[in-house]
Amino acid sequence: MTRDEIKNEILGIFKDQFEIENPGLDDDLREVHEFDSIDAIELLGEIEIILSSELTRAEKKGAMEIRTINHILDYVESLSLARAKG
Amino acid sequence: MERRVVITECSAITPIGHGKDEIVRHLVEGISGVKKIRKDDLLSGFIDCGVFGTVDYPLDYDFKRQHRKTMGPVSYYACQVAKEVLKNSGLNHDFITSGRLGVAFGSTHGSPSVQRGIYKSFFSKSRSSFSKIGAVDYLKSMVHTTAANITKMFGITGRVFSSSTACTTSSQSIGFGSEMVKYGMQDAMLCGGADEYDTTTVAVFDNLLACSTEFNDTPHLTPRPFDEQRDGLVVGEGAGAVLLEEYEFAKKRGANILGEVIGFSCNNNGGDLILPNMDGITETIRLGLKDAGISADSVDFVSAHATATKMGDVIEAHAMGRVYRDFPVVTGLKSYMGHTMGSCGAIETIITLYMMEKGFIPPTLNLDKVDDRCAMVKHARTLIETDVHIAAIQNFAFGGVNTCLIVKKV
Repeated sequence: MTRDEIKNEILGIFKDQFEIENPGLDDDLREVHEFDSIDAIELLGEIEIILSSELTRAEKKGAMEIRTINHILDYVESLSLARAKG
Repeated sequence: MERRVVITECSAITPIGHGKDEIVRHLVEGISGVKKIRKDDLLSGFIDCGVFGTVDYPLDYDFKRQHRKTMGPVSYYACQVAKEVLKNSGLNHDFITSGRLGVAFGSTHGSPSVQRGIYKSFFSKSRSSFSKIGAVDYLKSMVHTTAANITKMFGITGRVFSSSTACTTSSQSIGFGSEMVKYGMQDAMLCGGADEYDTTTVAVFDNLLACSTEFNDTPHLTPRPFDEQRDGLVVGEGAGAVLLEEYEFAKKRGANILGEVIGFSCNNNGGDLILPNMDGITETIRLGLKDAGISADSVDFVSAHATATKMGDVIEAHAMGRVYRDFPVVTGLKSYMGHTMGSCGAIETIITLYMMEKGFIPPTLNLDKVDDRCAMVKHARTLIETDVHIAAIQNFAFGGVNTCLIVKKV
Protein backbone atom coordinates (compact mmCIF):
# COMPACT_ATOMS: atom_id res chain seq x y z
CA MET A 1 0.00 0.00 0.00
CA THR A 2 1.19 3.52 -0.73
CA ARG A 3 1.21 6.15 2.02
CA ASP A 4 -1.62 7.98 0.25
CA GLU A 5 -3.75 4.84 0.18
CA ILE A 6 -3.08 4.28 3.88
CA LYS A 7 -3.94 7.91 4.60
CA ASN A 8 -7.27 7.61 2.82
CA GLU A 9 -8.12 4.44 4.73
CA ILE A 10 -7.15 5.96 8.10
CA LEU A 11 -9.01 9.22 7.50
CA GLY A 12 -12.06 7.20 6.46
CA ILE A 13 -11.89 5.25 9.72
CA PHE A 14 -11.55 8.46 11.71
CA LYS A 15 -14.60 9.88 10.00
CA ASP A 16 -16.79 6.78 10.17
CA GLN A 17 -15.72 5.17 13.44
CA PHE A 18 -14.57 8.11 15.52
CA GLU A 19 -16.64 10.94 14.03
CA ILE A 20 -13.48 13.01 13.57
CA GLU A 21 -13.48 14.73 10.18
CA ASN A 22 -10.36 16.00 8.45
CA PRO A 23 -8.01 16.01 11.43
CA GLY A 24 -4.73 17.85 10.91
CA LEU A 25 -2.00 15.33 10.16
CA ASP A 26 0.07 16.64 13.06
CA ASP A 27 -2.77 17.36 15.48
CA ASP A 28 -2.24 15.85 18.93
CA LEU A 29 -5.17 13.43 18.71
CA ARG A 30 -5.78 13.29 22.46
CA GLU A 31 -5.53 17.01 23.05
CA VAL A 32 -7.39 18.20 19.97
CA HIS A 33 -9.87 15.38 19.27
CA GLU A 34 -10.30 13.55 22.64
CA PHE A 35 -8.92 10.39 21.02
CA ASP A 36 -8.14 8.17 24.00
CA SER A 37 -6.67 4.77 24.82
CA ILE A 38 -9.99 3.02 24.12
CA ASP A 39 -10.06 4.55 20.65
CA ALA A 40 -6.44 3.50 20.12
CA ILE A 41 -7.30 -0.14 20.82
CA GLU A 42 -10.26 0.08 18.46
CA LEU A 43 -8.02 1.62 15.79
CA LEU A 44 -5.60 -1.30 16.07
CA GLY A 45 -8.46 -3.63 15.18
CA GLU A 46 -9.16 -1.53 12.10
CA ILE A 47 -5.48 -1.57 11.15
CA GLU A 48 -5.56 -5.38 11.29
CA ILE A 49 -8.37 -5.25 8.75
CA ILE A 50 -6.41 -2.87 6.49
CA LEU A 51 -3.38 -5.15 6.61
CA SER A 52 -5.45 -8.34 6.44
CA SER A 53 -3.18 -9.55 9.19
CA GLU A 54 -3.23 -9.82 12.96
CA LEU A 55 -0.85 -7.61 14.92
CA THR A 56 1.48 -9.23 17.40
CA ARG A 57 1.39 -8.13 21.03
CA ALA A 58 4.75 -6.39 20.53
CA GLU A 59 3.44 -4.54 17.48
CA LYS A 60 0.39 -3.41 19.44
CA LYS A 61 2.56 -2.15 22.29
CA GLY A 62 4.59 -0.26 19.69
CA ALA A 63 1.49 1.77 18.87
CA MET A 64 1.06 3.16 22.37
CA GLU A 65 3.31 6.16 21.73
CA ILE A 66 1.36 7.29 18.68
CA ARG A 67 0.01 10.84 19.01
CA THR A 68 -0.78 12.09 15.49
CA ILE A 69 -2.19 10.92 12.17
CA ASN A 70 1.29 11.12 10.70
CA HIS A 71 2.51 8.78 13.47
CA ILE A 72 -0.28 6.36 12.54
CA LEU A 73 0.72 6.51 8.88
CA ASP A 74 4.36 5.81 9.78
CA TYR A 75 3.25 2.91 11.93
CA VAL A 76 1.00 1.30 9.32
CA GLU A 77 3.51 1.91 6.55
CA SER A 78 6.25 0.14 8.50
CA LEU A 79 3.96 -2.81 9.29
CA SER A 80 2.90 -3.02 5.66
CA LEU A 81 6.51 -3.04 4.48
CA ALA A 82 7.47 -5.66 7.05
CA ARG A 83 4.67 -7.92 5.88
CA ALA A 84 5.59 -7.35 2.20
CA LYS A 85 9.15 -8.49 2.95
CA GLY A 86 7.66 -11.56 4.62
CA MET B 1 -24.21 17.04 62.15
CA GLU B 2 -27.60 16.24 60.64
CA ARG B 3 -28.77 18.35 57.72
CA ARG B 4 -32.11 18.46 55.92
CA VAL B 5 -32.12 16.82 52.50
CA VAL B 6 -34.43 17.96 49.74
CA ILE B 7 -35.23 16.74 46.24
CA THR B 8 -34.93 19.58 43.75
CA GLU B 9 -35.16 17.90 40.36
CA CYS B 10 -36.22 14.59 38.87
CA SER B 11 -36.68 12.79 35.58
CA ALA B 12 -37.94 9.38 34.53
CA ILE B 13 -38.12 7.18 31.46
CA THR B 14 -40.87 4.63 32.04
CA PRO B 15 -43.20 2.29 30.16
CA ILE B 16 -45.90 4.94 30.71
CA GLY B 17 -43.90 7.78 29.27
CA HIS B 18 -40.89 10.01 29.50
CA GLY B 19 -41.29 13.09 31.65
CA LYS B 20 -43.94 14.40 34.00
CA ASP B 21 -46.76 15.28 31.59
CA GLU B 22 -46.92 11.92 29.87
CA ILE B 23 -46.50 9.90 33.06
CA VAL B 24 -49.20 11.86 34.90
CA ARG B 25 -51.54 11.51 31.91
CA HIS B 26 -51.19 7.73 31.99
CA LEU B 27 -51.83 7.66 35.74
CA VAL B 28 -54.84 9.93 35.61
CA GLU B 29 -56.37 8.21 32.59
CA GLY B 30 -55.54 4.71 33.83
CA ILE B 31 -53.43 3.73 30.82
CA SER B 32 -51.08 0.77 31.14
CA GLY B 33 -47.58 0.61 29.67
CA VAL B 34 -47.49 -3.17 29.61
CA LYS B 35 -47.25 -4.65 26.11
CA LYS B 36 -46.38 -7.96 24.48
CA ILE B 37 -42.88 -9.19 25.25
CA ARG B 38 -40.12 -8.12 22.86
CA LYS B 39 -38.74 -10.84 20.56
CA ASP B 40 -35.02 -11.33 21.05
CA ASP B 41 -34.31 -14.38 18.86
CA LEU B 42 -32.91 -16.08 21.94
CA LEU B 43 -35.15 -17.32 24.71
CA SER B 44 -38.21 -15.12 24.43
CA GLY B 45 -40.04 -17.76 22.39
CA PHE B 46 -39.73 -20.29 25.21
CA ILE B 47 -40.89 -18.06 28.04
CA ASP B 48 -44.45 -18.64 29.22
CA CYS B 49 -44.83 -15.00 30.20
CA GLY B 50 -45.69 -13.01 27.07
CA VAL B 51 -45.83 -9.49 28.50
CA PHE B 52 -43.35 -6.77 29.38
CA GLY B 53 -43.34 -3.20 30.68
CA THR B 54 -41.72 -1.71 27.65
CA VAL B 55 -40.21 1.62 26.67
CA ASP B 56 -41.31 1.43 23.04
CA TYR B 57 -41.27 5.10 22.09
CA PRO B 58 -38.30 6.88 20.50
CA LEU B 59 -35.90 8.73 22.78
CA ASP B 60 -33.99 11.64 21.32
CA TYR B 61 -30.48 11.01 22.58
CA ASP B 62 -27.87 13.62 21.82
CA PHE B 63 -24.67 12.18 23.26
CA LYS B 64 -21.22 12.81 21.85
CA ARG B 65 -19.30 9.80 20.56
CA GLN B 66 -16.77 10.19 23.38
CA HIS B 67 -19.60 9.33 25.74
CA ARG B 68 -21.56 6.89 23.58
CA LYS B 69 -18.61 4.59 23.08
CA THR B 70 -18.70 3.31 26.67
CA MET B 71 -22.47 3.08 26.98
CA GLY B 72 -24.74 0.07 26.68
CA PRO B 73 -28.52 0.55 26.51
CA VAL B 74 -28.80 0.80 30.31
CA SER B 75 -26.37 3.73 30.37
CA TYR B 76 -28.27 5.51 27.61
CA TYR B 77 -31.31 5.47 29.88
CA ALA B 78 -29.28 6.50 32.92
CA CYS B 79 -27.36 9.30 31.23
CA GLN B 80 -30.52 10.69 29.61
CA VAL B 81 -32.37 11.11 32.91
CA ALA B 82 -29.20 12.36 34.61
CA LYS B 83 -28.69 14.90 31.82
CA GLU B 84 -32.25 16.17 32.15
CA VAL B 85 -31.95 16.47 35.92
CA LEU B 86 -28.66 18.39 35.81
CA LYS B 87 -29.78 20.61 32.93
CA ASN B 88 -33.02 21.56 34.67
CA SER B 89 -31.41 21.94 38.09
CA GLY B 90 -29.61 25.13 37.23
CA LEU B 91 -26.46 23.88 38.95
CA ASN B 92 -23.43 25.36 37.23
CA HIS B 93 -20.45 23.50 35.81
CA ASP B 94 -18.15 24.66 38.61
CA PHE B 95 -20.38 23.10 41.26
CA ILE B 96 -21.00 19.91 39.29
CA THR B 97 -17.26 19.31 38.95
CA SER B 98 -16.27 20.64 42.38
CA GLY B 99 -16.42 17.38 44.31
CA ARG B 100 -19.43 18.61 46.29
CA LEU B 101 -21.78 16.65 44.03
CA GLY B 102 -21.69 12.84 44.18
CA VAL B 103 -23.44 10.07 42.28
CA ALA B 104 -25.43 7.13 43.62
CA PHE B 105 -26.73 5.25 40.63
CA GLY B 106 -27.10 1.58 39.80
CA SER B 107 -28.68 -1.18 37.79
CA THR B 108 -29.51 -4.81 38.44
CA HIS B 109 -26.51 -6.19 36.55
CA GLY B 110 -25.07 -3.65 34.15
CA SER B 111 -25.96 -4.17 30.51
CA PRO B 112 -27.16 -7.71 29.78
CA SER B 113 -27.38 -7.07 26.04
CA VAL B 114 -23.68 -6.19 25.94
CA GLN B 115 -22.90 -9.21 28.11
CA ARG B 116 -24.72 -11.45 25.63
CA GLY B 117 -22.40 -10.18 22.87
CA ILE B 118 -19.42 -11.18 25.01
CA TYR B 119 -20.89 -14.65 25.60
CA LYS B 120 -21.24 -15.12 21.85
CA SER B 121 -17.51 -14.50 21.55
CA PHE B 122 -16.84 -17.12 24.23
CA PHE B 123 -18.66 -19.79 22.33
CA SER B 124 -17.17 -18.97 18.93
CA LYS B 125 -13.80 -20.29 20.19
CA SER B 126 -11.92 -18.20 17.63
CA ARG B 127 -8.94 -15.93 18.03
CA SER B 128 -10.58 -13.08 16.10
CA SER B 129 -13.65 -13.12 18.38
CA PHE B 130 -11.45 -13.19 21.46
CA SER B 131 -9.62 -10.09 20.26
CA LYS B 132 -12.91 -8.25 19.93
CA ILE B 133 -13.60 -8.47 23.68
CA GLY B 134 -12.17 -5.17 24.77
CA ALA B 135 -12.17 -2.56 27.45
CA VAL B 136 -15.25 -1.00 25.89
CA ASP B 137 -17.28 -4.15 26.46
CA TYR B 138 -16.35 -4.11 30.12
CA LEU B 139 -17.13 -0.41 30.49
CA LYS B 140 -20.51 -0.91 28.82
CA SER B 141 -21.50 -3.98 30.81
CA MET B 142 -19.91 -3.60 34.26
CA VAL B 143 -22.27 -3.39 37.18
CA HIS B 144 -21.47 0.27 37.86
CA THR B 145 -21.64 1.28 34.22
CA THR B 146 -24.51 3.73 34.82
CA ALA B 147 -22.74 5.63 37.59
CA ALA B 148 -19.39 5.61 35.78
CA ASN B 149 -20.85 6.92 32.53
CA ILE B 150 -22.74 9.66 34.37
CA THR B 151 -19.57 10.85 36.11
CA LYS B 152 -17.69 10.84 32.80
CA MET B 153 -20.37 12.70 30.89
CA PHE B 154 -20.63 15.55 33.39
CA GLY B 155 -17.16 15.56 34.95
CA ILE B 156 -18.51 14.73 38.40
CA THR B 157 -15.70 14.25 40.91
CA GLY B 158 -17.50 13.56 44.18
CA ARG B 159 -18.33 10.26 45.83
CA VAL B 160 -19.58 7.45 43.61
CA PHE B 161 -21.77 4.68 44.90
CA SER B 162 -23.36 2.05 42.69
CA SER B 163 -25.92 -0.08 44.42
CA SER B 164 -26.83 -3.30 42.67
CA THR B 165 -29.45 -4.91 44.85
CA ALA B 166 -32.04 -5.82 42.23
CA CYS B 167 -35.39 -4.24 43.09
CA THR B 168 -33.95 -2.02 45.85
CA THR B 169 -31.11 -0.69 43.69
CA SER B 170 -32.44 2.81 43.20
CA SER B 171 -34.27 3.15 46.51
CA GLN B 172 -30.89 2.42 48.11
CA SER B 173 -29.33 5.01 45.78
CA ILE B 174 -31.73 7.65 47.07
CA GLY B 175 -31.58 6.46 50.67
CA PHE B 176 -27.83 6.14 50.97
CA GLY B 177 -27.41 9.27 48.84
CA SER B 178 -29.61 11.19 51.24
CA GLU B 179 -27.46 10.03 54.15
CA MET B 180 -24.34 11.33 52.41
CA VAL B 181 -25.96 14.76 52.25
CA LYS B 182 -27.57 14.51 55.68
CA TYR B 183 -24.24 13.78 57.37
CA GLY B 184 -22.28 16.37 55.41
CA MET B 185 -20.19 14.13 53.18
CA GLN B 186 -21.65 15.71 50.03
CA ASP B 187 -23.72 18.83 49.45
CA ALA B 188 -25.67 17.24 46.63
CA MET B 189 -26.18 13.76 45.21
CA LEU B 190 -27.47 12.65 41.82
CA CYS B 191 -29.31 9.43 42.61
CA GLY B 192 -31.27 6.80 40.75
CA GLY B 193 -31.27 3.61 38.79
CA ALA B 194 -31.88 2.13 35.38
CA ASP B 195 -32.49 -1.21 33.75
CA GLU B 196 -32.78 -2.20 30.11
CA TYR B 197 -34.86 -4.98 28.57
CA ASP B 198 -33.41 -8.29 29.66
CA THR B 199 -34.73 -11.68 28.65
CA THR B 200 -32.66 -13.36 31.35
CA THR B 201 -34.54 -11.55 34.10
CA VAL B 202 -37.88 -12.53 32.58
CA ALA B 203 -36.71 -16.14 32.19
CA VAL B 204 -35.55 -16.34 35.80
CA PHE B 205 -38.84 -15.06 37.20
CA ASP B 206 -40.75 -17.20 34.72
CA ASN B 207 -38.93 -20.35 35.84
CA LEU B 208 -39.63 -19.40 39.44
CA LEU B 209 -43.34 -19.35 38.45
CA ALA B 210 -43.43 -15.72 39.58
CA CYS B 211 -44.32 -14.13 36.21
CA SER B 212 -47.79 -13.34 34.96
CA THR B 213 -48.85 -15.73 32.18
CA GLU B 214 -52.65 -15.57 32.06
CA PHE B 215 -52.93 -12.20 30.33
CA ASN B 216 -50.56 -12.64 27.38
CA ASP B 217 -53.28 -11.59 24.95
CA THR B 218 -54.44 -8.67 27.10
CA PRO B 219 -51.20 -7.22 28.47
CA HIS B 220 -52.86 -4.10 29.87
CA LEU B 221 -54.80 -6.27 32.35
CA THR B 222 -51.65 -7.36 34.18
CA PRO B 223 -49.96 -7.05 36.65
CA ARG B 224 -52.81 -6.91 39.17
CA PRO B 225 -51.40 -6.00 42.60
CA PHE B 226 -53.61 -7.07 45.52
CA ASP B 227 -56.30 -8.34 43.12
CA GLU B 228 -57.89 -11.73 43.55
CA GLN B 229 -56.92 -12.71 40.00
CA ARG B 230 -53.28 -11.59 40.13
CA ASP B 231 -50.98 -14.21 38.69
CA GLY B 232 -47.51 -12.76 39.03
CA LEU B 233 -45.21 -9.92 38.18
CA VAL B 234 -44.41 -8.33 34.83
CA VAL B 235 -40.80 -7.38 34.21
CA GLY B 236 -40.20 -3.90 32.82
CA GLU B 237 -37.48 -1.42 31.96
CA GLY B 238 -36.80 2.25 32.56
CA ALA B 239 -34.79 4.78 34.50
CA GLY B 240 -35.26 7.42 37.15
CA ALA B 241 -33.00 10.10 38.58
CA VAL B 242 -33.44 12.61 41.39
CA LEU B 243 -31.21 15.40 42.59
CA LEU B 244 -30.77 15.62 46.35
CA GLU B 245 -29.43 18.80 47.91
CA GLU B 246 -28.77 20.09 51.37
CA TYR B 247 -31.79 22.23 52.26
CA GLU B 248 -30.04 25.53 53.05
CA PHE B 249 -27.90 25.29 49.93
CA ALA B 250 -30.97 24.58 47.78
CA LYS B 251 -32.95 27.41 49.37
CA LYS B 252 -30.11 29.89 49.01
CA ARG B 253 -29.73 29.25 45.31
CA GLY B 254 -33.48 29.41 44.73
CA ALA B 255 -33.93 25.78 43.72
CA ASN B 256 -37.43 24.42 43.23
CA ILE B 257 -37.95 22.07 46.16
CA LEU B 258 -40.10 19.10 45.18
CA GLY B 259 -39.97 17.27 48.48
CA GLU B 260 -37.83 16.43 51.48
CA VAL B 261 -36.37 13.02 52.30
CA ILE B 262 -37.20 12.83 56.00
CA GLY B 263 -36.58 9.15 56.56
CA PHE B 264 -34.87 6.09 55.16
CA SER B 265 -34.51 2.54 56.33
CA CYS B 266 -32.79 -0.50 54.92
CA ASN B 267 -32.56 -3.93 56.48
CA ASN B 268 -32.32 -7.57 55.55
CA ASN B 269 -34.59 -10.48 56.28
CA GLY B 270 -31.56 -12.42 57.46
CA GLY B 271 -32.55 -15.68 55.83
CA ASP B 272 -34.26 -16.76 52.64
CA LEU B 273 -33.03 -14.93 49.54
CA ILE B 274 -36.30 -15.06 47.64
CA LEU B 275 -39.34 -15.35 49.88
CA PRO B 276 -40.75 -12.11 51.31
CA ASN B 277 -40.60 -11.94 55.08
CA MET B 278 -43.31 -10.31 57.15
CA ASP B 279 -41.11 -9.51 60.14
CA GLY B 280 -38.37 -8.09 57.94
CA ILE B 281 -40.76 -5.88 55.98
CA THR B 282 -42.63 -4.75 59.09
CA GLU B 283 -39.35 -3.76 60.67
CA THR B 284 -38.31 -1.83 57.55
CA ILE B 285 -41.48 0.24 57.68
CA ARG B 286 -41.11 0.89 61.42
CA LEU B 287 -37.46 1.85 61.02
CA GLY B 288 -38.35 4.26 58.21
CA LEU B 289 -40.95 5.98 60.36
CA LYS B 290 -38.55 6.08 63.31
CA ASP B 291 -35.83 7.64 61.17
CA ALA B 292 -38.34 10.26 60.00
CA GLY B 293 -39.45 10.87 63.56
CA ILE B 294 -43.12 10.53 62.68
CA SER B 295 -45.98 8.29 63.69
CA ALA B 296 -47.75 5.91 61.32
CA ASP B 297 -50.86 8.07 61.22
CA SER B 298 -48.84 10.95 59.73
CA VAL B 299 -48.43 9.09 56.45
CA ASP B 300 -50.98 9.98 53.76
CA PHE B 301 -49.84 7.66 51.03
CA VAL B 302 -47.87 4.45 50.61
CA SER B 303 -46.35 3.42 47.32
CA ALA B 304 -46.33 -0.32 47.92
CA HIS B 305 -43.73 -2.58 46.32
CA ALA B 306 -46.70 -4.73 45.22
CA THR B 307 -45.30 -6.83 42.39
CA ALA B 308 -48.54 -8.85 42.11
CA THR B 309 -47.05 -12.16 43.16
CA LYS B 310 -49.33 -14.46 45.12
CA MET B 311 -47.49 -14.30 48.43
CA GLY B 312 -45.55 -11.06 48.14
CA ASP B 313 -48.65 -8.89 48.08
CA VAL B 314 -50.25 -10.73 51.00
CA ILE B 315 -47.17 -10.36 53.18
CA GLU B 316 -46.71 -6.69 52.29
CA ALA B 317 -50.39 -5.97 52.98
CA HIS B 318 -50.13 -7.67 56.38
CA ALA B 319 -46.94 -5.79 57.22
CA MET B 320 -48.60 -2.49 56.28
CA GLY B 321 -51.67 -3.47 58.28
CA ARG B 322 -49.52 -4.15 61.34
CA VAL B 323 -47.87 -0.74 61.21
CA TYR B 324 -50.35 1.57 59.52
CA ARG B 325 -53.69 -0.15 60.11
CA ASP B 326 -55.93 1.71 57.66
CA PHE B 327 -54.48 5.23 57.82
CA PRO B 328 -52.70 5.88 54.51
CA VAL B 329 -54.00 5.23 51.02
CA VAL B 330 -52.02 2.48 49.27
CA THR B 331 -51.27 2.21 45.56
CA GLY B 332 -49.25 -0.40 43.70
CA LEU B 333 -47.70 1.72 40.95
CA LYS B 334 -46.24 -1.33 39.19
CA SER B 335 -49.77 -2.02 38.00
CA TYR B 336 -49.17 0.69 35.35
CA MET B 337 -45.77 -0.33 34.05
CA GLY B 338 -44.67 -3.65 35.46
CA HIS B 339 -41.61 -4.08 37.61
CA THR B 340 -38.86 -1.85 36.27
CA MET B 341 -36.35 -3.68 38.46
CA GLY B 342 -33.35 -1.55 39.43
CA SER B 343 -35.16 1.64 38.53
CA CYS B 344 -38.44 0.99 40.34
CA GLY B 345 -37.56 2.75 43.60
CA ALA B 346 -36.53 5.94 41.83
CA ILE B 347 -39.46 5.88 39.40
CA GLU B 348 -41.96 5.29 42.22
CA THR B 349 -40.39 8.11 44.24
CA ILE B 350 -40.62 10.45 41.24
CA ILE B 351 -44.26 9.52 40.64
CA THR B 352 -44.95 10.20 44.31
CA LEU B 353 -43.41 13.68 43.88
CA TYR B 354 -45.71 14.26 40.89
CA MET B 355 -48.67 13.25 43.05
CA MET B 356 -47.59 15.70 45.76
CA GLU B 357 -47.31 18.49 43.23
CA LYS B 358 -50.55 17.77 41.39
CA GLY B 359 -52.64 16.71 44.39
CA PHE B 360 -53.86 13.27 43.37
CA ILE B 361 -53.47 9.58 44.14
CA PRO B 362 -53.91 7.16 41.24
CA PRO B 363 -55.70 3.89 41.84
CA THR B 364 -53.95 0.55 41.63
CA LEU B 365 -54.68 -0.49 38.06
CA ASN B 366 -56.50 -3.80 37.49
CA LEU B 367 -57.54 -3.99 41.13
CA ASP B 368 -61.05 -5.23 40.36
CA LYS B 369 -61.62 -7.33 43.47
CA VAL B 370 -59.30 -7.03 46.43
CA ASP B 371 -57.94 -10.37 47.64
CA ASP B 372 -59.40 -10.88 51.13
CA ARG B 373 -55.88 -11.58 52.40
CA CYS B 374 -54.79 -8.10 51.26
CA ALA B 375 -57.85 -6.24 52.50
CA MET B 376 -56.46 -4.86 55.76
CA VAL B 377 -55.19 -1.62 54.17
CA LYS B 378 -56.93 1.28 52.43
CA HIS B 379 -56.44 0.56 48.73
CA ALA B 380 -56.79 3.33 46.15
CA ARG B 381 -59.59 2.00 43.93
CA THR B 382 -60.37 5.18 42.02
CA LEU B 383 -58.49 8.38 41.22
CA ILE B 384 -58.43 10.47 44.39
CA GLU B 385 -57.95 14.24 44.31
CA THR B 386 -56.19 15.01 47.58
CA ASP B 387 -53.10 16.63 49.01
CA VAL B 388 -50.29 14.22 49.79
CA HIS B 389 -48.09 15.64 52.55
CA ILE B 390 -46.09 12.62 53.64
CA ALA B 391 -45.54 9.45 51.63
CA ALA B 392 -43.70 6.18 52.11
CA ILE B 393 -42.09 4.36 49.19
CA GLN B 394 -41.49 0.67 49.90
CA ASN B 395 -39.26 -1.66 47.91
CA PHE B 396 -38.11 -5.22 48.55
CA ALA B 397 -35.52 -7.25 46.67
CA PHE B 398 -34.16 -10.71 46.05
CA GLY B 399 -31.46 -11.26 48.61
CA GLY B 400 -33.83 -10.27 51.40
CA VAL B 401 -33.09 -6.54 51.12
CA ASN B 402 -35.88 -4.14 52.12
CA THR B 403 -36.05 -0.35 51.95
CA CYS B 404 -38.49 2.35 52.97
CA LEU B 405 -38.13 5.99 51.94
CA ILE B 406 -40.23 8.65 53.66
CA VAL B 407 -40.77 11.82 51.63
CA LYS B 408 -42.49 15.00 52.77
CA LYS B 409 -43.96 17.84 50.76
CA VAL B 410 -42.19 21.08 51.68
